[in-house]
Amino acid sequence: MKGLSIDYATLLPALSPVAGLVLVLLADLFAPRGRRLPWGIAGLASAASAAATLPGLGLGGGSTRETFCIIPTALPAGGGRLPSVEGLPRVCLWSADALGSTLQLAAAVSALVCIALGWPRVRRRRPEAGTREPVEAVLLLAALAGTVVVAASRDVGTWLVALELATLPVIALVALSGRRSSAVGATQLLVTSLVSFALLVLGVALWFAATGSPFLTPDAALSSAGALSATGAPTNVVLPSVSSGLVALATVLVLAGVGFKLSLVPFHAWTPTAYAGSSVSVATLLATVSKVAALAALLVVLRAVAALGMPGLLAIAVLASLSMTLGNIMALRQDDVVRLLAWSTVAQAGWVVLPLVSVSALGVGASATYVLTYVVATLVAFAVVAVTLRDHPTGGRTLAAYEGLWQRSPWRAGALVLALTSLAGLPPGIIGLVGKVTALRPVLAEGWVWLAVIAAVNAVIGVAVYLRWLRAVITEREVSATGDDADAEGTTGGTAGRTVRAARRPVVVAGLALSAAVLVVVSVQPDLLLRLLG
Amino acid sequence: MALTLMLLLPLLGAIALIAIPGETRVERAIAFAATVATAGLAVVVVWGRHEVDVPWIRALGVRWHFGVDGISAALVLMTALLTVAVVAHAQSGPIPKGGSGSTFLGCILLVETGALATFLARDAILFFVAFEVVLVPMWVLVRRFGDDHVRDETRADAAGRFVLFTVLGSTLMLVGILLLVHHQGTSDLTVLAQRHGAGLSRSLQVAIAGVLLLGLGIKVPLWPLHTWLPSAHTIAPTAGSVLLAAVLLKMGTYGIVRLAVATVPRGVAELSPVLALLGVVGVLWGGLACLVERDLKRLIAYSSVAHMGFVALAIASGSDTGLQAALFGNIAHGVVAALLFFVVGDLKEQWGSADLRVARAALRDKAPRFGLALVVGLAAALGLPGLVSFWGEFLALYAAWSPAPGRPVALMRVCVVLGAVGLALAAAYALRVARIVWAGEGSDLAEGRAAEPVGDAHGARWAVVMALVVAVVGLGVLPHLLLGLSDSAASGLLAGLGVTP
Repeated sequence: MKGLSIDYATLLPALSPVAGLVLVLLADLFAPRGRRLPWGIAGLASAASAAATLPGLGLGGGSTRETFCIIPTALPAGGGRLPSVEGLPRVCLWSADALGSTLQLAAAVSALVCIALGWPRVRRRRPEAGTREPVEAVLLLAALAGTVVVAASRDVGTWLVALELATLPVIALVALSGRRSSAVGATQLLVTSLVSFALLVLGVALWFAATGSPFLTPDAALSSAGALSATGAPTNVVLPSVSSGLVALATVLVLAGVGFKLSLVPFHAWTPTAYAGSSVSVATLLATVSKVAALAALLVVLRAVAALGMPGLLAIAVLASLSMTLGNIMALRQDDVVRLLAWSTVAQAGWVVLPLVSVSALGVGASATYVLTYVVATLVAFAVVAVTLRDHPTGGRTLAAYEGLWQRSPWRAGALVLALTSLAGLPPGIIGLVGKVTALRPVLAEGWVWLAVIAAVNAVIGVAVYLRWLRAVITEREVSATGDDADAEGTTGGTAGRTVRAARRPVVVAGLALSAAVLVVVSVQPDLLLRLLG
Repeated sequence: MALTLMLLLPLLGAIALIAIPGETRVERAIAFAATVATAGLAVVVVWGRHEVDVPWIRALGVRWHFGVDGISAALVLMTALLTVAVVAHAQSGPIPKGGSGSTFLGCILLVETGALATFLARDAILFFVAFEVVLVPMWVLVRRFGDDHVRDETRADAAGRFVLFTVLGSTLMLVGILLLVHHQGTSDLTVLAQRHGAGLSRSLQVAIAGVLLLGLGIKVPLWPLHTWLPSAHTIAPTAGSVLLAAVLLKMGTYGIVRLAVATVPRGVAELSPVLALLGVVGVLWGGLACLVERDLKRLIAYSSVAHMGFVALAIASGSDTGLQAALFGNIAHGVVAALLFFVVGDLKEQWGSADLRVARAALRDKAPRFGLALVVGLAAALGLPGLVSFWGEFLALYAAWSPAPGRPVALMRVCVVLGAVGLALAAAYALRVARIVWAGEGSDLAEGRAAEPVGDAHGARWAVVMALVVAVVGLGVLPHLLLGLSDSAASGLLAGLGVTP
């Protein structure tokens, strides 16, 4: 294709996981018994991907790192010539600005932490069982590649394929993660993704019908709003009012499709089952990388639509308030920490889309900020769960297992306190507080006071949710109640056994330390995180 | 510099304390040194009117902007000095059961940090952040270190109620702040006070003032949003009760003055009849509840509702005198409530409960020091002239009788009459407590442990109580010490001149 230029340096964030994927397959070919090697490669590939996004972070003032740029004339757009050709500059299929790069970075770092949390043990459970680790590493890297690509994609084809690439491997990961209930979770997830895919395709088709353009860019959106007729272009476009209505409909369908992946109510039903059924590292992946992918996809569309100056979308307001309310209320009733976190992600997803009621740069930036704060805090919470589960494989998922954590391991408890208060939006989790402020700002700027009040009430229920867990952490466990102690600590118990176990999980602890360090830094200086978005 | 240090000292002290496990002498020394140094710095900061202003969150336009002015000076001093008293008091007795002493003291220091930052913040969003800082440590104080005579569920209920009510209030306040900041384009409180609501339509001002008053009214607490207060006070350990009554409640009224009265004056004027009525209902409700309440700590808590009602009435009057009365009433209630909670907390510690129905040995003969402090506190609570509360309440009624122009005079005067009835109720309940606890009505029926006299106050605890008694009497005799501090600032704030530091 003429005029197509490819800048491989710009593509590095996506190329690194793909290269890692190939390397894992090769490694599996030569050392099929290797269990840690594939994960090591996957970790390196994620780290490389994270590093490759760094040049994009400093971009400000609307500058982007683009590649796959083409001159639109070369495209046969649905038979007829596009009337908008003369006015348009080149269009790039890959365009990563500060916001996109930041989301890519968040996805890569989250993937890195997930890899650390799921670091395989040395011994195999059964000698005859095949090694699953290479497969899991490949799937994980594929999901990461999809996420990275979707954040930078600017045309419907890439967007759709990348979004599915980010979703489908996760389903396989859930199915593979071993527990009996994981099959149920995977099935639910699969059915949900199929429906969501159908909605997305329909939305994209409507977009194409309305704009006549396969690009998800502001220019394309404007071409639907009659900007062309002003330039005296031929009138083979549909009527402006009709087509901007179509764009709105397309946006709502895309929102519904992405809603499944973001687990917004009423598209959330798969969430608790899938989280509870899968291993902690896969649940972390679902809660972080998948969410970043879904939001990045949504933001690509909404940033294009924002050019139209559309009034706020009532659909988003309704979804956000439903998600926050139902997620929080259900989370209040959970005693299993993974389920609690699952419902909490439903509620947090409401907060993530809340600022999008203002379809504007302000709303998009606020939503991205909130998702970053959520991802950082959630990573730490899941990391603590993973470490605790390695200590007490049997009862580590209940809230009761966290009683007296403050006494037993103050550092882990401190990290958990910071994560939970960040999610609740209370100091010392300053970053969560800043996230709430940022999320509410566009809502009020557009005058949605009732929505802000619903959000305020939900902030209160959210605090109740996280304080339940926090209460267990700070509760002093009676020293005399050793019977319970031994039970919860696993059968071997004792200090000696614990230190041996602690030595056995250095990588998991490293994952916790990495995520906790990020959380502490952005809590002390939130500006570091906010300025990333340009 | 001194100001930043003043905020950092208690924070670093708290972090050090929470990081230290177990019980050693070191943590007591750290806590005491940190609070004393903070109090010293507070005096320096207030004296020199220090200010610090550096960018913090550039993306939100939030600046790390703290400063003292006439409105906040007295509150800053009171917070810093009271925390010294609280720490000294806590260290001279057993640490409440429920956790290590270092965590307990660390939480107290965290509360101090948050309160000082709230009073000093000159940026609306920074104010909100600081406002939230006190929540988690206070929750820990009530939840973990609360009264261990009651069941765990009761403690959970009290602590949960406190934190959930307050979070609802502060989030609503955030909604109001964001509305205000969005329409004024700045979050600098000095600039917002100078604009004095210029450029905001009447309905918008009313909306912003309504949300802010609703949110802050929970913290004050205004009737009928006060239901979290009695249980939190009853369950909290002595240190928690004192901080809650003397410092945390003030954040509510201070916030109303700083955030609502200064920035959306027309909106507050429109809503002032509601504010006045709720304040007076609070005065009566609190007074009536005190007449029948059986738990001594809960009784003091209800009296707080009544006293804060007077402050709300004073703010509603909208006049210069009213604002002065509100600021004075804040300090007065802080000192008196601290004194009463110290005494009652000590008594409850020895009695094991604070039930007034149990016949006990009288304080008058057996524990004269406690008796003296209790009587002074109760006399102040009933508004005896010559003691500190008198000025706050007298000035509040005086200001409400002739409110600022534009306020409904008739309604305000009705409120004044009802407030005067509330003062009579205060006399009734104060004398009821004095009769039972101090004079020992029915004490001859006491049997068993209750018949034994309590050990009298001594050492550091006696010094703390005495210092507060001196403050109650001293500020009552020389009210102009406080009134002079806030005089020009109050009139400047109402005139929209901004507050000159």
